[in-house]
Amino acid sequence: MAAARYWRLVPRGPGLSLHTAAAAAVTAPEMIGPAVAAAPVARYPPIVASLKAKSKAARQRRVERWQAMVHAAESVDEKLRILTKMQFMKYVVYPQTFALNADRWYQGFTKTVFLSGLPPPPAEPAPAPAPAPALDLAALRAAACDCLLQEHFFLRRKGRPPLYREYETIGSPFLDQLVAALMGLLSAHNPALAAAALDCKRPVHFYWLRGEEIIPCGHRKGRVDALRYQINDKPNNQIRMSKQLPEFVPLDYSVPIEIPVMNCKPDKLPLFKRQYENTIFIGSKTADPYCYGHTQFHLLPDKFKRERLLKKNCADQIEVVFRANAIASLFAWTGAQAMYQDIDCYVKICLG
Amino acid sequence: MALASGPARRALARPGRLGLGGCGAPRRGAYEWGVRSTRKPEPPPRDRVYEIPGLEPITYAGKMHFMPGLARPVFPPWDPGWTHPKFRRLPPIHEQPLYKDQACYVFHQRCRLLEGVKQALWLTKAKLIEGLPKKVLGLVEDPRNHIENQDERVLNVISHARLWHSTEDIPKRETYCPVIVDSLIQLCKSQILKHPSLAKRICAQNYRLSTTWNRESLLLQVRGSSGARLNAKDPLPPIASREEVEATKNHVLETFYPISPTIDLQECNVYDVEDDTGFREGYPYPYPHTLYFLETANLRPHRFQPDQLRAKMILFAFGNALAQARLLYGNDTKVLEQPVVVQSVGTDGRVFQFLVLQLNTTDLASNEGVKNLVWVDSDQLLYQHFWCLPVVKKKVVVEPVGPTGFQPETFRKFLALYLHGAV
Repeated sequence: MAAARYWRLVPRGPGLSLHTAAAAAVTAPEMIGPAVAAAPVARYPPIVASLKAKSKAARQRRVERWQAMVHAAESVDEKLRILTKMQFMKYVVYPQTFALNADRWYQGFTKTVFLSGLPPPPAEPAPAPAPAPALDLAALRAAACDCLLQEHFFLRRKGRPPLYREYETIGSPFLDQLVAALMGLLSAHNPALAAAALDCKRPVHFYWLRGEEIIPCGHRKGRVDALRYQINDKPNNQIRMSKQLPEFVPLDYSVPIEIPVMNCKPDKLPLFKRQYENTIFIGSKTADPYCYGHTQFHLLPDKFKRERLLKKNCADQIEVVFRANAIASLFAWTGAQAMYQDIDCYVKICLG
Repeated sequence: MALASGPARRALARPGRLGLGGCGAPRRGAYEWGVRSTRKPEPPPRDRVYEIPGLEPITYAGKMHFMPGLARPVFPPWDPGWTHPKFRRLPPIHEQPLYKDQACYVFHQRCRLLEGVKQALWLTKAKLIEGLPKKVLGLVEDPRNHIENQDERVLNVISHARLWHSTEDIPKRETYCPVIVDSLIQLCKSQILKHPSLAKRICAQNYRLSTTWNRESLLLQVRGSSGARLNAKDPLPPIASREEVEATKNHVLETFYPISPTIDLQECNVYDVEDDTGFREGYPYPYPHTLYFLETANLRPHRFQPDQLRAKMILFAFGNALAQARLLYGNDTKVLEQPVVVQSVGTDGRVFQFLVLQLNTTDLASNEGVKNLVWVDSDQLLYQHFWCLPVVKKKVVVEPVGPTGFQPETFRKFLALYLHGAV
């Protein structure tokens, strides 16, 4: 355009340029005197980067505007909707997977460190309100035996279970009965268990971003794009409570073990990309007062049973299957619970 | 036509299989005829020579090829000597091992009785009493049995089942009905701290029940499984005293002539008379405590009407009680010293039906004598309606999200039925 070639070497307005004028406007009242009101009235709009330009500053401003929109939304549902409404291709992570060494990959995706053994016992809350009754192991054992025997032996079912689903057909009701029985028997030791909510086969969803990649092909080729993951899990049972469980170790506890870093793209796992609804769900909606999780119970399907893996010569993968399932499922559940509670923190940490 | 409804009306309107359609051919539906393009061609008709008795037709079977003038041979059907499991044909009904001449009328979980509760009472030789028994109502009113924050927790349960438990905006009945019943049972179970004997119970799904009894020259059977069954280690105590049981001798069972009492029952000649409680011997929780019936179909015509649901509850409770009584006291028909009590709860997620059945006698063939007792509390609403989305008229929220018309009494009855026997 011809008009644009002639730059204005002299600023439009009489006197100083825009920048110095604004600075003078901010500092001038302080110099004038205490009689003027303390808050200086900005006579020009704030200088910010452009909104729609093709520049890094403009993109940064757009990102900040989006984060401000999330912060300004009133309800958690609104915030979740703004975070998850745009759909892009994402990796679908399956907690129960046949992939080899999946637990190392999942540790990388979820930034988890794996420590074998149980966590350190929490400090005793002092003073203990009442001496807890002794744990009646014999009664617990008897209840577990009753559930096992009922499902495996005493109950006469009609028809045969479908092919390769014998374990699930018997294991799923057994697990339901066992969890219900244990919750009943152990509520004397933990009164919160009596008031907890028990879900059977309710979905748990989580969507998160971690890492970056260069887009290999398409109209956005060569640009940096975040890696997106989604877990859609369905634990057999889960217990939800209205009070959070106390943490085992403080937030800034650092472990000398490093998270395994894989040198190739997640596609090698194998992990596949799909574009569909981004959902974040703990098992019930945000309005439920029982929004903190306690325990999840998963049932491994027949294809991961021990005999099958041994026949395939994958004896070391037996434990990998358990670990990968635990890491993925619990990361999804705890992440979704955190989103339900404090979304702004998530936005700042993961997307800021 | 006012008297006939449902299957009776459908039977009367359609001429039936024997009515002739067009062209004098017998009426058959497309399923029986098959798709015309894939139908095998009809075999050619037999030669007239075969119709002449005493004549031996000369066929071209020995020549191994067609010969004009000779009759077409008729070969016996070929028996391959083995059967492919996919194409196994069952033997005709008369040759099956369990075939019996006397027809048996089977009640299964999809039977909708025409006369509903009246028919169920006649079939089980029972007397109906409206309302739950006084013992159970006493448990309802007792403040010691109330859970703390009971109303608030039940409202949470309703909201969880109707709205919160699924990612959909409006969950369907197939998901919310089992969730609400499971959550209510979980809530009742939380009383285990106050009543430790609640631990002596276990729930069982997919059990298979089968009992047979005679009723005035009719052989009746309850077969199948329906919903969940709560089993207990100790039997429920009898509710009606001996005097009330003796007083039922004067009660006359209501008949509904001209409708036959076996209407809507499946008539079959191939059946097994063996009793089956659904569990093997030595089961540590042998006594049935409560049966839970869920009507989970999304469409209203697929769900049972309240009357039909109550009839199904009566019959299945009776089946369980009879199987238990025969297991404990033997197969002879007699008046029971210790009546067997079974409870039952039926629901479609909003309306609850409560039932308590006391089996006093296994002598069901005659219409006289001691009768069984059935207490029914029907059509108890837990809540009137649940709004999944707020009703907004002219930008004002008229109805907020949540249940309306909540009745706490219904959950108290549910809890009382659960605690009965353990308190």
